[in-house]
Amino acid sequence: MPEPEYVSRNRASWTLANAEYTDRAAREAWAREEIVWGHWRLPERELGVLPDVAGKDVVELGCGTAYFGAWLKRAGARRVVGVDLTPAQLDTARRMDEEFGLGLELVEANAEDVPLPDASFDLVLSEYGASIWCDPELWIREAARLLRPGGELVFMRGSTLRILCVPDEGPATDRLLLPQKGLYRTDWEEGDMSGTDFHPPTSELFAILRENGFELLDFRELYAPDDAVDHEYYVQPSAEWARKWPAEEIWRLRLRPRSS
Amino acid sequence: MADPNVEAWTRANADYTDARAEAAWAKDEVDWGIWHVPESELHALPDVTGKDVVELGCGTGYVGAWLKKLGAARVVGVDPTPAQLQTARRCNERFGLGLEFVEAFAEDVPLPDAAFDLAVSEYGASIWADPGRWIPEAARLLRPGGELVFLRNSTLAILCSPDEDLPTTETLQRPQFGMYRFQWPGEGVEYHLPHGEWIRLLRANGFEILDLIEIPAPADAETHERYDYVTAEWGRKWPAEEIWVARKEA
Repeated sequence: MPEPEYVSRNRASWTLANAEYTDRAAREAWAREEIVWGHWRLPERELGVLPDVAGKDVVELGCGTAYFGAWLKRAGARRVVGVDLTPAQLDTARRMDEEFGLGLELVEANAEDVPLPDASFDLVLSEYGASIWCDPELWIREAARLLRPGGELVFMRGSTLRILCVPDEGPATDRLLLPQKGLYRTDWEEGDMSGTDFHPPTSELFAILRENGFELLDFRELYAPDDAVDHEYYVQPSAEWARKWPAEEIWRLRLRPRSS
Repeated sequence: MADPNVEAWTRANADYTDARAEAAWAKDEVDWGIWHVPESELHALPDVTGKDVVELGCGTGYVGAWLKKLGAARVVGVDPTPAQLQTARRCNERFGLGLEFVEAFAEDVPLPDAAFDLAVSEYGASIWADPGRWIPEAARLLRPGGELVFLRNSTLAILCSPDEDLPTTETLQRPQFGMYRFQWPGEGVEYHLPHGEWIRLLRANGFEILDLIEIPAPADAETHERYDYVTAEWGRKWPAEEIWVARKEA
């Protein structure tokens, strides 16, 4: 499959973001002993949204510097493959993997077209990776292809409400600034960066997941805890906003056996 | 003292739903919500031919009437408001459709376990009954593999509704965190949950979620003559209503 035009812009933006932030943040993230979710670092032990990964084969789609895959390996996953399209982030991931000696595998690829065999994983994970940077019609089909029957897909993205309330610049407001129609794909520019992200509303995304054979097991809307403070690098959302409205959400799904 | 929802719906029936019931029963096509979007566009319902159906919070019973016309074997309408059931019974005699009606709250339905193939609620139990109690009742009433289909206001519409009796705005008027029970001025008690809470509640009661349909107002929709809490203009930009389709696991 030829690379869609937005991929090169997303790669350029993540190359820049890696130089500005994600490279220097990688070591602290990899060193973390506990799995946490999203801007507010909510502990998995409180959310309980992941399946038991002990002995499982995991692929992370849009892994960036692959800290989430590192956490899953430490939680007992047998094999963790990180897939990302940005060489700079994969360089950081490889350096960390050597430093921490966790034995992740890292593959440079677009999650819409992954050079890995069918039915070879028990868990597909994406935390602000393919879940927002790739076309859902394409990456969810790939996730279904990569999973063994009964395997699970867990991903995090921003909430639809947050997307509706975000102005061109600055954090989310309490106003609906965009109509819900047209959220599927957004081409954006901000300073030196430009890119494309994808945010089908809940019902549209759910329909794509069903069409690809997924059954919804759980859906968590995440709020900022009382003591949350604004993130040092990512502008949105403010902790104040996110205490009232869910800024982030986690979807958990299971691939139905092919026969049913 | 009477239940606040029974009081509110007794008044609403005298003001509006009684006078509108015959026209609603007379319709030959199923449509959904304040924009009257046809079922033929939304495909929310399973085939009801030969099925046993219970409508939870049936009001004047017109949705049940449509399902009976579509071929349902048995349709039982459950509602706590005697005035609305009276209207429903009058229409049922006039149209000769053979519905059954039971006066009860959807939180506690005096009907046997596993007696229905479809439980439906259109602005009935779906907003007027406590979800923590009526969803388990729906699960109890359904046979394994039976479906639950309900229409409610969107969470977004509720978040943007002012406390006063004014239409939905373009500003978030209240936090989503903790939203559950609502009492608008001069109205009954409503229940509105965020998507995540609905999904967890349905899953906890043994439902697989088959579909979530967010309904935009059609281009030619006009603001509803009575249910004007949301304008057609708002409803074209954001979904004011949504339908959930779930199946009780076998």
